[in-house]
Amino acid sequence: MDRDLLRQCLTHHGESLFNTLQCEQTENPDFQAVASDLAKATYERRGAGEGCSLVEQFIARKADILFCPTWRTAVPREDELEDEEATEPYAIMPPAELFMGVPFEERRAMLYRDLERGDAVVGRINNVREYGFFLTLLCAAGGLRRDIEDLELSALCHIKEIPSTGSHDNPLSYYQIGDLIRGGVKDLDRYQEKITVSLLPASLCPRFAHIKLGVVAREELPKHYSRGLRVANDARETYERILRGCHGYHNPSVVEYLLGRAGVSDHRPPSLMRGLQSKHFHEEDFATVIRKKQSASWALKCVRSGVDHFKHGRHVEAMNEYNKALEIDTNNVEALVARGALYANKGGMMKAISDFELGLETCPDHRNAKKYLCQTLVERGKQLQGQEKFVTAEGLYRRALSLDDSYPEAQAALRRITDTIQKSIRLREEATAKEETEKAKSGKTSAQKLRKILKDEKRMKKKRKRSSSSSSSSSSSSSSSERPYLSPTSTTSSRRRSKKRRRKRGDSERGSPRHRRRSSKDDGSGRRKRSEEEEEEEEYPAPPNTSASFLGSGFLGSGAGRGEGGEEEEEEEEEEEVVVDDRRISQLYSLSAASEDEGSEPRGGDGKGRRGRSFSSHAKGGRRRRRSRRGSSSESSAAREQGKARRRSGEGRRRSRGRSSEEGRGRSREEGRSSEEGRGRSSEEGRGRSREEGRSSEEGRGRSREEGRRKSRGRSSEEGRSRGRSSEEGRRRSSEEGRRRSRGRSSEEGRSREDGRRRSTDEGRRRRKASTSSLESQRSRKSAVAAERPPACRRSSSGSLGQPAPPLAAPPPVPPRRTSLDGGRSQSRPGRGAELKGGEGPRAPPPSTSTSSSNGQGGVARPPQPAGGGAGKKGLPANLMDIFNKIAKFEKEKGAGPRK
Amino acid sequence: MEDPSSRTAHDGPPGQVARGGSESGGPAAHGGPPGQAARGGSHSGGPAAHGGPPVQAARGGSDSETDVTREIKTHFRVCRFIMESGVKLGMRSVPVATACELYHRFFECVSLRVYEPYLVAMSCVYLAGKVEEQHLRTRDILNVSHRYFHSGSAPLECDREFWELRDSVVQCELLILRQLDFHVSFRHPHKYLLHYLTSVKALVNRHAWTRTPVAETAWALLRDCYHGVMCIHHAPQHIAIATLYLALNSYGVEMPVGEREWWQVLCEDVTKEVINAVISDLLLLYDMEAKCV
Repeated sequence: MDRDLLRQCLTHHGESLFNTLQCEQTENPDFQAVASDLAKATYERRGAGEGCSLVEQFIARKADILFCPTWRTAVPREDELEDEEATEPYAIMPPAELFMGVPFEERRAMLYRDLERGDAVVGRINNVREYGFFLTLLCAAGGLRRDIEDLELSALCHIKEIPSTGSHDNPLSYYQIGDLIRGGVKDLDRYQEKITVSLLPASLCPRFAHIKLGVVAREELPKHYSRGLRVANDARETYERILRGCHGYHNPSVVEYLLGRAGVSDHRPPSLMRGLQSKHFHEEDFATVIRKKQSASWALKCVRSGVDHFKHGRHVEAMNEYNKALEIDTNNVEALVARGALYANKGGMMKAISDFELGLETCPDHRNAKKYLCQTLVERGKQLQGQEKFVTAEGLYRRALSLDDSYPEAQAALRRITDTIQKSIRLREEATAKEETEKAKSGKTSAQKLRKILKDEKRMKKKRKRSSSSSSSSSSSSSSSERPYLSPTSTTSSRRRSKKRRRKRGDSERGSPRHRRRSSKDDGSGRRKRSEEEEEEEEYPAPPNTSASFLGSGFLGSGAGRGEGGEEEEEEEEEEEVVVDDRRISQLYSLSAASEDEGSEPRGGDGKGRRGRSFSSHAKGGRRRRRSRRGSSSESSAAREQGKARRRSGEGRRRSRGRSSEEGRGRSREEGRSSEEGRGRSSEEGRGRSREEGRSSEEGRGRSREEGRRKSRGRSSEEGRSRGRSSEEGRRRSSEEGRRRSRGRSSEEGRSREDGRRRSTDEGRRRRKASTSSLESQRSRKSAVAAERPPACRRSSSGSLGQPAPPLAAPPPVPPRRTSLDGGRSQSRPGRGAELKGGEGPRAPPPSTSTSSSNGQGGVARPPQPAGGGAGKKGLPANLMDIFNKIAKFEKEKGAGPRK
Repeated sequence: MEDPSSRTAHDGPPGQVARGGSESGGPAAHGGPPGQAARGGSHSGGPAAHGGPPVQAARGGSDSETDVTREIKTHFRVCRFIMESGVKLGMRSVPVATACELYHRFFECVSLRVYEPYLVAMSCVYLAGKVEEQHLRTRDILNVSHRYFHSGSAPLECDREFWELRDSVVQCELLILRQLDFHVSFRHPHKYLLHYLTSVKALVNRHAWTRTPVAETAWALLRDCYHGVMCIHHAPQHIAIATLYLALNSYGVEMPVGEREWWQVLCEDVTKEVINAVISDLLLLYDMEAKCV
């Protein structure tokens, strides 16, 4: 208890209060502590005696509240705002003693008691001497609001306290008798009753720093003084009348303003009622807290029903429920996580990530949010990796690891990506080195080159077979594992994939566990798949630049699988192994391809062989791309068919591509087109282009077409055996374009269209790079592998073709791979064989690409595809085309690499 | 009640209100018994009385005096409910005062037996929020009230009952408006008190003033006085002066004395008797608290 306050009170009320206090506060240890002190003094009642017994009793009963140190919560806002005078947020009243008729002597004593150094006063100069001037004080201007005009107060302002104006004049010359001066109280002698004022700002109390000192006009005098004058001049003026006449009194928020000024809290309002003490209010009873809780529970209800919808495959309804939940409770973690999961399932990785991040923001320890975010980040990282955005992908992996440093997928993915980055760098260097050597050896005829390419192709095939056989086991396992993953993660392609999966598996994909089962079934069901996968692996060997992308795509695939089935770690591991194999292969291929490209022109036979390899790689790339595109659905099947009979398959592929495009995914169509183009049919290309153009509202497509035309021209020239440089140039352009395009989504498509095989390869690369959806990238890898693989795979693919690529979200991974593989195969392999021829044919047209495009528009690109498939010769040209493309790519890469 | 022809008569609104009371008021009337009993008011029959007008009528008939005190106690409890809800809803003092005054004015002309007081109180809070431009959501009011009657309970579900509760509050708001003839805006002592405080503060040594929690005490007294019908029976200036007087008196703050007392200056028509009357009313409320809670 505040002893001084209590003493002051007792002094006022007298002994009786003390007695009552002792009765009422007997159980209050605080009072007992001070009681002995207080008892020493004797109290005489000073206040009015009547009616005090009740008040005394009240004081005594509430003494523990009234005199509790914590009761004095108010922190009066002492600073007078600068604009208070001008805006008058409350009624500024004249001093009350003006109305009270307080005797002169008492007022004078009160003034000397209460005036303090630092206050501001206003006075009129009544005398000017050489040492200063004297003021008769008129009113207080800050710190104290009293009526002092009639108190005959005199104050001295010494010359030292007058700021000099800079000139050497006597500062006093500026002041005359009768001037109104505002000054700060510098010193106060309460006994001698002497006041000294200063015009230096430093004399003022800091909170009055805004007050200007010096001469003031009459209008500048404070409001309480001017209003006081009115009272003095008009006896009828009363406090209340003035109050009501004041602007500030009618301020709607005057209560809040004055409460704040007095420092009383209106949110934890004081009360002398026992039951209203703030200690009785619990935080959880407050409206905001209840509302929060309630919103959370309401939102949770929505989330539950949303999850129910989701479980039954009603994704739209689920999304609606989630959104409703988030409307009710903006940052509901459960809703965010659930929606994020839905986004992730639908392929909206970025949306999913932002949802998870938001959820983690509000609830940093949410398990599922963390887990899902990790998975989605890895997934997204794989996608980016597929688009060759390695640095970003790496960042995502690191972020995932920062969330969960023991997350194996992220660790593996990070390891892989660092490896790939290093490898790609190495490959680039090697490629440049080869280029240089090639340049040194320039001179072989194009025919020689062709031969070499063909030889290389054969070699490559053998190698592939070996590699496929060796890697088949791992690949199969990986593929099986990947498939389930893919299905869940699939973004756009997921539907197609899912369709395929459904057809194949016959299961609907809902949960990751199911995927696992399916995947196991798949494994059991088909060696085809395995073989395809193996093929894919073979295909992996991509051009140096692309290799990384392939790897990335593979990673993506695996990542997607993880994301989807996050639970299946084993599968992931398998995938990783596969990926590793792929990498090796790809490296080999890329190396070979690079060498081929480089050597193709200069070296005759070698160059051919290399070309063949490169073709294959390109083709692979193309396949991959195609696969990825097709990946969604029918394309994959078509690719398989192509694998059976390359020419046939090529047709099938085209068909499949056409189908896929029909199915509706622009990408798939584009891929299909690109593959078709790769086969070499200009008309097809043209069609594809036209389609692409039509579709491509996407800028990239238009570009791609143009590029494709250029490329095609380049190809044609190359076919003429001048493939070497011109084709290379064209390839370079195309590849460059493709890269650009790849950066944009459309760019991928465009690339594919550009040059059939080259394009396809380029596109494949681009696609790989650009491939937005990890699934696609995965598929593309797989498809590429499949393409590399022998006809058997194609057969399988054809089988898949036979199985219409259901647009639905069949477990994308496997089928897509197959399809993509097929597509890649069809493109690349056929290209090698008939495709090359075909491709050349088409390419030849490309020079007239503009016309071809028109043709393409006129005729459906797909029909041409079958024709291309039919022509085995075409396949050869296609291969040539591929080779060219590859060469071009290599060249580009080389060119780009060194430049880079 | 006063206007039988209008909807406010016993037929329409009462029925509605009764319905509302049984549902939302569930808390008050039905749920009330448990919740209220927990609050220790069962012996006074406060909540039970509201819930069961017939019973009360029978009792009231037998003893008119106890009936009056019982009603006062009920009003005290309901006002306590308003104030607690006000704090939990983050209402400022003026809207709370308006809510209380709405409540008191409503039951000034209407029998406690006809309308469920807690439902009326909830509607008063809602209406006061509108009148004083501090809009409150019915959902918050319902939540806080529900938790008041069932302390520790889970928040309401978003179901039919919730919407019926909400409807009953809104309906009752209309009833209040009609009953008060749409005179729902009041002059409160708060503005006066704060201006008086600044004037009185200037009369006192600033250090003595900061040492003495007069502003808090006066503000607390002013808020507390809304537990009763003082706000209707006394002029706002008088209430403001009385609370300030009591606060100054409680701390023994010496005021300069001239030809007129400070309170005479602040308000022309205030007299010592008026001040004493207000103070005694106020002090009665503090005694009431011990009896009611």
